[in-house]
Amino acid sequence: MTLAEPLPTGGFSFDNVARNAMLAARGAKPPKATSTGTTIVGVIFKDGVVLGADTRATAGPIVADKNCEKIHYLAPNMYCCGAGTAADTEFTTALISSKLELHSLQTGRQSRVVTAMTMLKQMLFRYQGHIGAALVLGGYDVNGPQLYTIAPHGSTDKLPFVTMGSGSLAAMAVFEAKWRANMTRDEAVAIVNDAIEAGIFNDLGSGSNVDVCVITKDNVEYLRNYNRPNERGVKEQSYRFPRGTTTVMSRKVINFVDVIEGDAMDVTA
Amino acid sequence: MSSVGTGYDLSASTYSPDGRIFQIEYAGKAVENSGTCIGIRAKDGVVIAHEKLIHSKLLVPGSNRRIQTVDQHIGMVGAGLLADSRHLVTLAREEASSYRDNYKTPIPAKMIAERVASYVSAFTLYSSVRPFGLSTIIGVMDVHGPALYMIEPSGVHYGYFGCAAGKGKQVAKTEIEKLKFAELSARDAVKAAAKIIHMVHDDAKDKEFELEMSWICEESGRKHQPVPADILQEAERLAKAQLNADEMEED
Amino acid sequence: MEKAPSLKPGEVNLGVTNRVTDKLTQIHDRIFCCRSGSAADTQAIADIVHYYLQVFTVQEGQPPTVEVAANMFQRLVYDNKDQLMAGIIIGGWDAVNGPSVYSIPLGGSLHRRPFAIGGSGSSYIYGYCDATYKEGMSREECIAFTKNAVSLAMSRDGSSGGTIRLAIITKDKVERVFVPGNELPVFYEG
Repeated sequence: MTLAEPLPTGGFSFDNVARNAMLAARGAKPPKATSTGTTIVGVIFKDGVVLGADTRATAGPIVADKNCEKIHYLAPNMYCCGAGTAADTEFTTALISSKLELHSLQTGRQSRVVTAMTMLKQMLFRYQGHIGAALVLGGYDVNGPQLYTIAPHGSTDKLPFVTMGSGSLAAMAVFEAKWRANMTRDEAVAIVNDAIEAGIFNDLGSGSNVDVCVITKDNVEYLRNYNRPNERGVKEQSYRFPRGTTTVMSRKVINFVDVIEGDAMDVTA
Repeated sequence: MSSVGTGYDLSASTYSPDGRIFQIEYAGKAVENSGTCIGIRAKDGVVIAHEKLIHSKLLVPGSNRRIQTVDQHIGMVGAGLLADSRHLVTLAREEASSYRDNYKTPIPAKMIAERVASYVSAFTLYSSVRPFGLSTIIGVMDVHGPALYMIEPSGVHYGYFGCAAGKGKQVAKTEIEKLKFAELSARDAVKAAAKIIHMVHDDAKDKEFELEMSWICEESGRKHQPVPADILQEAERLAKAQLNADEMEED
Repeated sequence: MEKAPSLKPGEVNLGVTNRVTDKLTQIHDRIFCCRSGSAADTQAIADIVHYYLQVFTVQEGQPPTVEVAANMFQRLVYDNKDQLMAGIIIGGWDAVNGPSVYSIPLGGSLHRRPFAIGGSGSSYIYGYCDATYKEGMSREECIAFTKNAVSLAMSRDGSSGGTIRLAIITKDKVERVFVPGNELPVFYEG
């Protein structure tokens, strides 16, 4: 007689912790998360907010992706730049985006930026910093344009201009020098571009191109690769070796052996 | 009663065709058999009193008190089934204590009345339970001053200047209505309560009784306490004298 | 009547992330808290108490006392002390106790005080506060006292600095005062 399969007990399994410790002790290298040594920024202007990001993704010393997307969709009126662990920013924003969509369907209203901010901070706080997501959240709702930063431990700041990631200091220097109240769209895009460029050129963790996203009342312009300051130049001349550069010392030709097939199959009826 | 035998009175979760819940009304009958309870809200305090009927000469005088303390500032008395009353006091004590745990401040009158009432009301919603055979009077002194509430078997609760429940409810209410609450002190209320309880007690028909009385006022340090023996005895003496005098006049 | 509890603006972890942080957080109409320690922890706690007080107001039909708010903070901080870095000062006005200030240091104890100081810079100004504080100060005296105390702390504490924010909470209104970095009270700078 066979007994019924015992039901698995609920909860997390930590079996692999001991295994991983054993593997590490034997010299196995644990996989490294792709970290976005990053420059991300946001600015509020007269009629909306502008978000900006570089496009370099790194894995340790390696550039893992030269043209990745760091400005994530949250809701039709909201986008969110992510720095930190790429997978964490990707999945955190995707999860909150899904929750916002359901929430907005449930309430029959457009999502508010504070709602997204609160959901994000509560999730990150719950995970006590283990989710390595540092975010710049921007959007336009019934209360006008809004901008927040959310740090991995769940703290938030509300400011008219913000920067995050390893390039945040370089970018903030640009903002501190150039920011003015009530800028136009074009002025705001220009200083966002400058701030990201400062990160691209001065921070080793940031690089490649500038992505920009302009959010205004009822409109979003997602300007992917708004600026490509690192285009590979056209080479002045060809560096290919001409034929005959290498001297032929000797030559030998081996003919392949002919393979003889068996008799053809009899296909007559 | 016309309703008996129709089947609509068997459960608290069934309405009769004319929209009544008989189980709640029957619970009211349990209250009507009880010794009278009254509550009076004075200027500076609340007094609650109970006509405790002594059903056996073997009981120790002063035992089985009906009036109980819920929290330092809350007194409670129930007219009706004593066991139900004890249960509700336990519930009220838990509510008062949890409020103190949460907010480190005494529960306000309105809140304790609301919470006890919603508990009572929950017992009118299910076929598996019986409503409380109880009208509960709650006296409180909170930051806003004295307050008095009464909760009926249905769960309805109102704030009162004066209220009564039990056998002598009607007579007691008529008497309470004569009081001038704006001028009444807690000490006056004690005298009035003693007189009313003695008045509603029918010596010929009813069993013997003990007058139980407690107050929460400035004099008791805003704490719920039995009215001190000397004050109570004096009030009873006055009450009896007055009632005798009234009878003389009538004669 | 006002109580303007002090605290130091500016620092989070390593390096300044926001030099105009508002560490004075409103948790009810007439109740504020000053947050020191981990920004994430204190924001989370303040958000929870804010929510509790909204529920409380609806249930009771009247605004909470500062005492009630302080006790909610104390419970959260004490019960979770192993996982938190939070030093909180609660101040406000209510109809029962008038103006009051409470302090909850790291361990989660609760103290009602005529004035309270906290945060990394507070150790530099105990002397100043004890020497200067007088009972029954006027509104203007209170403002000067708080402003001076915070400014003195900022000039001695390496991880305090930036601007000063004050909230003057009275029965009728809440006034927010912002003192920019170039308008701070100046003392001996030698």
